[in-house]
Amino acid sequence: MAVKKSVKPLLAGVLTFLILEVASLFLMANDSVVHKIRIEGAIAFIQEKLFNAHSGISYYFSLKDINEQLLKENTRLINQLSYYRTLAESHDTSMIVKQPDNDSSDFTYIPARIVGNSINHMHNYIIINRGSKAGVKEDMGVISPEGVIGVVRSVSENYAYVISLLNINQTVSAKIVSSGVYGPLTWDGRSAQYAVLSEIPQHIPITVGDSVVTSGLSSIFPPDIPLGSVRKSRIVMGSHHQIQVRLFQDFRRLYFVNVVVNSNKEELDKLTGEYEE
Amino acid sequence: MKSRLEILLIIALFILLQALLSNFVNFGPLVSIAVYPLLILTFPSKIPLYQKLILSFLLGLGVDYTGGYTMGINSGAAVILSFTQPLLIKLVVPHSELYKGSRAGLFELGIVRFAYYVVAGLMIHQASIELLENFASIFTFQSLLRFFLSIFVNSLIILLTEFGIFYKNRG
Repeated sequence: MAVKKSVKPLLAGVLTFLILEVASLFLMANDSVVHKIRIEGAIAFIQEKLFNAHSGISYYFSLKDINEQLLKENTRLINQLSYYRTLAESHDTSMIVKQPDNDSSDFTYIPARIVGNSINHMHNYIIINRGSKAGVKEDMGVISPEGVIGVVRSVSENYAYVISLLNINQTVSAKIVSSGVYGPLTWDGRSAQYAVLSEIPQHIPITVGDSVVTSGLSSIFPPDIPLGSVRKSRIVMGSHHQIQVRLFQDFRRLYFVNVVVNSNKEELDKLTGEYEE
Repeated sequence: MKSRLEILLIIALFILLQALLSNFVNFGPLVSIAVYPLLILTFPSKIPLYQKLILSFLLGLGVDYTGGYTMGINSGAAVILSFTQPLLIKLVVPHSELYKGSRAGLFELGIVRFAYYVVAGLMIHQASIELLENFASIFTFQSLLRFFLSIFVNSLIILLTEFGIFYKNRG
């Protein structure tokens, strides 16, 4: 006859073992500075491994969405290529020559991957896997194919801390495409899908569905980066519109971004600083 | 109740014995004396695992305190040894049900099996001590030398202690 063995004593034993080992490590850390440093080092090593494993697993399961993003980006590039081919074939060189003089030629991009992202707080942030070693600096903009993501706040050698657009203290200068009128776009801390565009004069006609893009009136973001579309608006203080903008970017599905490098930023900031002083 | 008090009394005696050995017998930096693993290895198998672990922890804590070690090192190693003790018994004595409820001492196992059992237990204990002390690999020349010398010396001390205290006074 088979003897049935209860699992409970073994579980109690394993649990007691773990508790007592942790207690021993705690005692060692309290009693000796050397052990404290070694234990903290070991904990940091384990945390890093777990974080990398978690990041790898999330990355694997998000490959479908990433493929969709890459497909969209690919489509956009094919369209752009097609546009330039058409221009070249029509021998209208004036427009091709004109392109390098455009503002956007001042901007280059550093591709990066998201390794940390918060969306459930009032002050959300993002961590990207590019830092000073890759040329990322403070106050650089971060964008994705679907819109503005945030602004770099601090940089380490291999990572950068980005203040997300979903942060109540973050403001982006935006304009409505149909009218060209611009104002500050901020997140109101409610839904991750919407932001608020304010200070648009009352006499400007607003249509639901109008596209909202970056104005280009700052040294951080190039112009015409898509942000979202007008969802609804209301008049406040009897003088201007307050517009709810549906963001194109879903911050819960964010994997790849580009850090915006403005080669003239220092010159522009210096000039602005001189006049502000 | 009586047996529990006996165990607590024996634990106190082993802490005292270990303190005397640690403080008054100096074998140099290459040997760390440990006689208390004998008590962990010979805990009666009728005691539930979690109780053995708690008793081993208290024993190790007493050794740490009285021997001037970093608090937590011997208690951590004692808990690891206690946790692996049932497995060691199964490895050394395949039909361990023959000894169900009793202590795995020299009389019960015989000299050869008991010697194997003690050496295997001391290997686990010494490896745990080295790992907890250094938080790194034990495979350096000095660590390995200390590892094998300590096991050799401690095996002799434990065999003599078991023979002198428990085997001769049995019955």
